[in-house]
Amino acid sequence: MSIVVEHFGRTYGTFTAVDDLSFEVSAGEIVGLIGPNGAGKTTTLRSLGGILLPTRGRIRVDGFDLAIDPIAAKRRLAFMPDEPHLFEYLTVEEHLRLVARLYGVEDFDRRAAALLDELELKGRERSLPAELSRGMRQKVVIACGLVRKASVLLFDEPLTGLDPLGIRRMRETIVARGQAGAAILVSSHLLHLVEEICTRVIIMDRGRKVADGTVAELASRADLAEAGSSLEQIFLHVTGNK
Amino acid sequence: MISASLYITACTTRNRIRVRLRRLREPRYLIGAIVGIGYLYFSIFAGRRGRSRGGRGRDSRAPIELGSAWQAIGSSLAGLLVFVLALLAWVLPARPGLLEFSRAETVFLFPASVSRRQLLVHRLVRSQVSSLVTSILMALLLAPSGGFERLRFAMAMWALFVTIRVYFAAVALTRAQFTSPRPLVRLAAWLPAGFLMAGSVVVGAAIVRQLTMQPVASPADVLVRLTGATATGLPSIVLWPFSAILRPQLATSATSFMQAMAGSLAVLAAVIAWMLANQSAFDLAVGEAGERSSDANARTPVVRVRQVGPALALSGRVEWAILWKNAMQTFRAVNLPMKRLAGPAIGLTIGLTGAAVGMSAGQNRGPAGFIAALGFAVTAISVVAGPLIMRLDLRSDFDHLDVLKTWPVRPADLIRGEMAWPAAFVSAIAWAGIACAALFSGAAMPDVPFVDRWSVAISALLVAPALIAAQYTVQNALALFFPAWVALGAQRARGIDAMGQRLIMLAAILLVLAIFAVPGGIAGAIVWLVLRNVMGVAVFVPAAVLFAAVVLTEVLVATELLGPAYERLDFTSVERGE
Repeated sequence: MSIVVEHFGRTYGTFTAVDDLSFEVSAGEIVGLIGPNGAGKTTTLRSLGGILLPTRGRIRVDGFDLAIDPIAAKRRLAFMPDEPHLFEYLTVEEHLRLVARLYGVEDFDRRAAALLDELELKGRERSLPAELSRGMRQKVVIACGLVRKASVLLFDEPLTGLDPLGIRRMRETIVARGQAGAAILVSSHLLHLVEEICTRVIIMDRGRKVADGTVAELASRADLAEAGSSLEQIFLHVTGNK
Repeated sequence: MISASLYITACTTRNRIRVRLRRLREPRYLIGAIVGIGYLYFSIFAGRRGRSRGGRGRDSRAPIELGSAWQAIGSSLAGLLVFVLALLAWVLPARPGLLEFSRAETVFLFPASVSRRQLLVHRLVRSQVSSLVTSILMALLLAPSGGFERLRFAMAMWALFVTIRVYFAAVALTRAQFTSPRPLVRLAAWLPAGFLMAGSVVVGAAIVRQLTMQPVASPADVLVRLTGATATGLPSIVLWPFSAILRPQLATSATSFMQAMAGSLAVLAAVIAWMLANQSAFDLAVGEAGERSSDANARTPVVRVRQVGPALALSGRVEWAILWKNAMQTFRAVNLPMKRLAGPAIGLTIGLTGAAVGMSAGQNRGPAGFIAALGFAVTAISVVAGPLIMRLDLRSDFDHLDVLKTWPVRPADLIRGEMAWPAAFVSAIAWAGIACAALFSGAAMPDVPFVDRWSVAISALLVAPALIAAQYTVQNALALFFPAWVALGAQRARGIDAMGQRLIMLAAILLVLAIFAVPGGIAGAIVWLVLRNVMGVAVFVPAAVLFAAVVLTEVLVATELLGPAYERLDFTSVERGE
């Protein structure tokens, strides 16, 4: 298993954002993490990315415990947040170069050129974040995540700010990485996207996992029989908004 | 529009006060508030009581004494200082606060049916709260006596702050029109700059004339001559607006205050008129910046220079990568490529060396002493205040903590890397100051032997970086242990509780720094005791070597020990700006 989350919990003061969450994602799997606002998706992804410390439980990435061996675990994962947070005075190319140095990417030139082409950033190599649109900055963040050979990819709302062509390309990029053997966890409110590209879905509500399985499996569950067959219908049903 | 601005200002102020009162429920703010209030109490009231004990006569004489000093130095000399700063605003443009619109202001006001002129007036109205609060605080802390004089001082400071704010905004708006395609607009934009340039020629010529009449005897002589050059004739007319804004602060009577205030307000009115006259450049100067000002990634000023330094190598130590990142940030922020520094640095070194040799030969002690003292002051300020001012380390990168925490790097390497660039930068400034002081010390202190002077200078060269690195270690350690008390990125928490927090932090920094210096100090002192009879003043060099070695070893060990603190550091515990 590439991602193993065991009884993970996270609190902010007295507020419990995530409670006793357990799931696994294996190599080649694309798992959708969905839920209403405040369900704990971003907290989960940030904890998986090593940004937040779990209050309870364990998180393992490719067998490395994020609390015990964080460097080895982080070396294997790429977290692409929803808010493109870049260094104000580094160009696009310099961002990629910095990441390549920190992660020890060997064939940087080839990989960077291919990525810039794939994400339509060619010609913007020397641009600073301030000179890019939000969507372009989002692509830079994703390029930084993909420039290394990460075996675990975490996407938090990857399509925010992208134009229709960008959305299609991003969809293809995620699917291609999954087919190449990466374990992928995608958080998104775009249920049609999740339904289209994900092999499995985890639904969270108020910090807890309320459903886990393929859309077909969820639709065939006895308690969801009356919900309907689409992910949107299932989602609304399990989150109490039928 | 003014009523809308007043409404926004009043609501914001009221709600800000509510938020600050509400946050006192948290112990860290409550403790900060107690310390802050205590500090203000002792600064204002205890000081007043002390003066009262000294006798009412002395109290009432204080402003007159200051007034006399003011007369002696010459208001034109202070005006000269303001004039130089005003010139610098054109050469080294800063981002004027008056032209920075918040995201909410951009969203609500830019599409509203209000003119650009009204938007400028709106920002002026909104800036009044901070100007007033700062003026009142300064009056409470600095005014020589209470009552009406304190009120006068506050009014004078308010006029000064508003004039400075408006001046910077007017400069930014005028500069934005330098490249206007319309010749008349371009000409109008260049006019104020031309006036200032002509003024600087007039004042500069008078100063050169005064300084070259006969050799300067002492630093005090320099001040006397500067006063002489600027107090009369055309230079005094050129400098009048710049000294006028400083006159009310030290007026000695109600009548002289009213006269001085009239002059200061006249200057303020002229600067406001100038700013509003340039409102057509509003979109150029603030349109885009205002649109994106709330976004950290978009707060970057226009960067003209792309290639500022070497590309980052794809392999090597983490520390170098972080140092490179921070260096890029510095050089891009000032639009200066690294290679362009080499020429001026070499030229300056040759020029200063030549001047030092010349002064030494001509026994020109006055100017040499002045320059040596200046070099010493630069060094002292760099070592003491540099790490407080240049925060391009973890403290500023807390803003990017969500990115840093995902990197697969050893925390100690990251911390050292973050500290390396600002420490190197501040050390370079300190070294320049030491070199300058050492070069001119020969002419300034011909009686002190060469070996002694250079032994002290070399010792300072060794000690300064160690002290600077130690300070950065302490600052970053406190940031890691008490992240909630550290301002996030460039933002700073405000309020009396935040002031109290900063005072506690400052005391902690000084204490930890003293503890840091003790082992190195003991080692250096032992070397000094053992070898002083053999080596004389030159013993400072090995003592400094040992001191620096011990302190730098402590820095190395401390950064290793800080690793777990970084691992435990929670993204959510970092203070969010108001």
